[in-house]
Amino acid sequence: MPADMHTRIRDYASRSGEIIREDPGVREAVTGATIAFDQKRLQGYSEVDADGWRRWAEGVKSHTLTHLDRYLAGAETQLEANGAEVHWAADAAEAREIVMSLAARHSVKSVVKGKSMVTEEIDLNPALEAAGIEVYETDLGEYILQLLDEPPSHILGPAIHKSLQQVQELFTDRLGSEPGGDPDTLARAARRVLRDAFIQSDMGITGGNFLVAETGTVALIENEGNIRLTTSLPRVHVAVVGIEKLLPRMADLSGFLQLTARAATGQPIGCFVSLIQGPAAHPDDDGPEAVHVVLVDNGRTDVLAHEHAWEALRCLRCGACLNACPVYRQTGGHAYGYVYSGPIGSVLDPGLLGLHEAMPLPFASSLCGACEDACPVRIPIPEMLLEWRREAQEEGLTPWKERAALKGLASVATRPGLYRLAGKIGSRLGATGVARALPMLGEWAADRALPQPSRRTFRELWREGIE
Amino acid sequence: MSAASRERIMARVARATASRAGVPHPGALATPAADDAVDAFVKRFTSSGGEVAKADPGRPPGEWLTGFLRKLEPQVTGVAVAPDVPPELRPGLPEVAAAQAGAGVSLAWGAAADTGSLILPSTGTRAVQLLPPAHVVWVPDGRVFARLEDALRELEAELPAAVGLHSGPSKSADIGRTVVTGVHGPGRCIAVLS
Ligand code: SF4
Repeated sequence: MPADMHTRIRDYASRSGEIIREDPGVREAVTGATIAFDQKRLQGYSEVDADGWRRWAEGVKSHTLTHLDRYLAGAETQLEANGAEVHWAADAAEAREIVMSLAARHSVKSVVKGKSMVTEEIDLNPALEAAGIEVYETDLGEYILQLLDEPPSHILGPAIHKSLQQVQELFTDRLGSEPGGDPDTLARAARRVLRDAFIQSDMGITGGNFLVAETGTVALIENEGNIRLTTSLPRVHVAVVGIEKLLPRMADLSGFLQLTARAATGQPIGCFVSLIQGPAAHPDDDGPEAVHVVLVDNGRTDVLAHEHAWEALRCLRCGACLNACPVYRQTGGHAYGYVYSGPIGSVLDPGLLGLHEAMPLPFASSLCGACEDACPVRIPIPEMLLEWRREAQEEGLTPWKERAALKGLASVATRPGLYRLAGKIGSRLGATGVARALPMLGEWAADRALPQPSRRTFRELWREGIE
Repeated sequence: MSAASRERIMARVARATASRAGVPHPGALATPAADDAVDAFVKRFTSSGGEVAKADPGRPPGEWLTGFLRKLEPQVTGVAVAPDVPPELRPGLPEVAAAQAGAGVSLAWGAAADTGSLILPSTGTRAVQLLPPAHVVWVPDGRVFARLEDALRELEAELPAAVGLHSGPSKSADIGRTVVTGVHGPGRCIAVLS
């Protein structure tokens, strides 16, 4: 994926236009789902001192990132003391090689996977499959996408852009399900296939939401139970974890588990949390005999060294900024052309891939500020977007059309009150209005009529979202 | 290769962090603690779809559990019981492998009220906690912590290879945004308070 992903980012504007024109169902599904998530987040935040929690979480993450060498070394020592093996991957290719050599070493024929953005980032599945290893994505949404051979379009709900009818057709076609089954029946059909996979597979591969340095704990949050199964039944567990996922202490974990769940879905905590310290040691423990933690850089140290972008490494991958974003709601994640989409993708991707690879993502925003308000670790996304835009201009990366748009924007942006207002007005205009108000989207929206039926739905849903 | 990468990554991290002022750790997060932790646990756990049962103090607990499991829908005939469940808490039903069992019976290390979570050590065998369609969990007396943070602080000293926090039944809304339960893990999660 990455190799051709890079070229896909460049086509952001045309792909957005294509999705909105040719697949209006995507916008409808994504808008509906994100507005529902966003409402739940607001409810979840309102039940606690959300501002206090967010400031605290920002502080812990910034502390960790400014002492990251110490915490990485601590986590490594502790994991090894727990009996786990730690591996270091400088880039995606090395991360893949490490997992592949582990698969060979443990004679792995079949793999179950828990939803993980970083294994998408390193493009792991094709490598495993090329080696003749069977790979099962076990998160229900990811499983649907695996059957369709599509990348996830949202951090949390990877298949939110698919309608019930599309899943019905897919399952009838691929699993022989009765046509028109309800979600319960469809889930049961997937469960049957995946239950066998859990029991037969030799290796479970997951990401990690957090890695606690003090105890060497990989923490994983989920609702389905598939990650608990993935880390429990196969004889080998491999956790692929970005180096920014560290937390200092076990005592910090409690707050982060709760805040992540509230930001993502408004829940007090995920239905299941796995805290993995190492391989099974006790005679009654039926867990894996080997646990491997692969620590992945792949551009993160570049982000860490960047004067402004480093703050994006606080990201918990909760998806709240995606849900709050009026631009993301138009297209879902596929338009962005890289695994990290939406507002966080627009500030993180330039840091991970290099600014010129990630153009024009810093321009894919109306700077309305909804993302920053939603973010549980208070990442100043609009400010960072402006920084990337400034850098792009300095490096001569902006084509004339973007530059003209940027100029107009800059004159408004110098008066912060005004640019916020401009964003807000843009959001009240509905789909066409938002699109016209956006520097990048404006280009294609100006001369192409948008499909009317879904525009009305969008407006209705939008109202729900702001009132 | 991995060793060389370790040195390279660590050097780059050290360089990046050296160039920036260190941010101090903000200390503990102050979250409210309920006065009645058991009551708070019951509220939170049930609002996330978990169920709570109270053992009948007038009967031996194992016998009570046998009756309770017989009344579950669908009726449980074979159970999987974790090895660390003491004899007096074990039901009088045929024990079968977790993959075939109608219910799994576990003993929690403790529970947390603020998140409504059962805290399950991997020494209680994970298959029992995950494979049967219903999971019935004994919560020992006096082991409900007001806050997850307090529980984790205490657990830290005796961490097993893995710990599961179960805060309700297995759920997904990935198909048509409709919530379905029992997708992969247990569709029913029942905490038993004595
Ligand atoms: S940037 Fe903030 S809101 Fe967006 S995914 Fe990351 S943590 Fe969540």
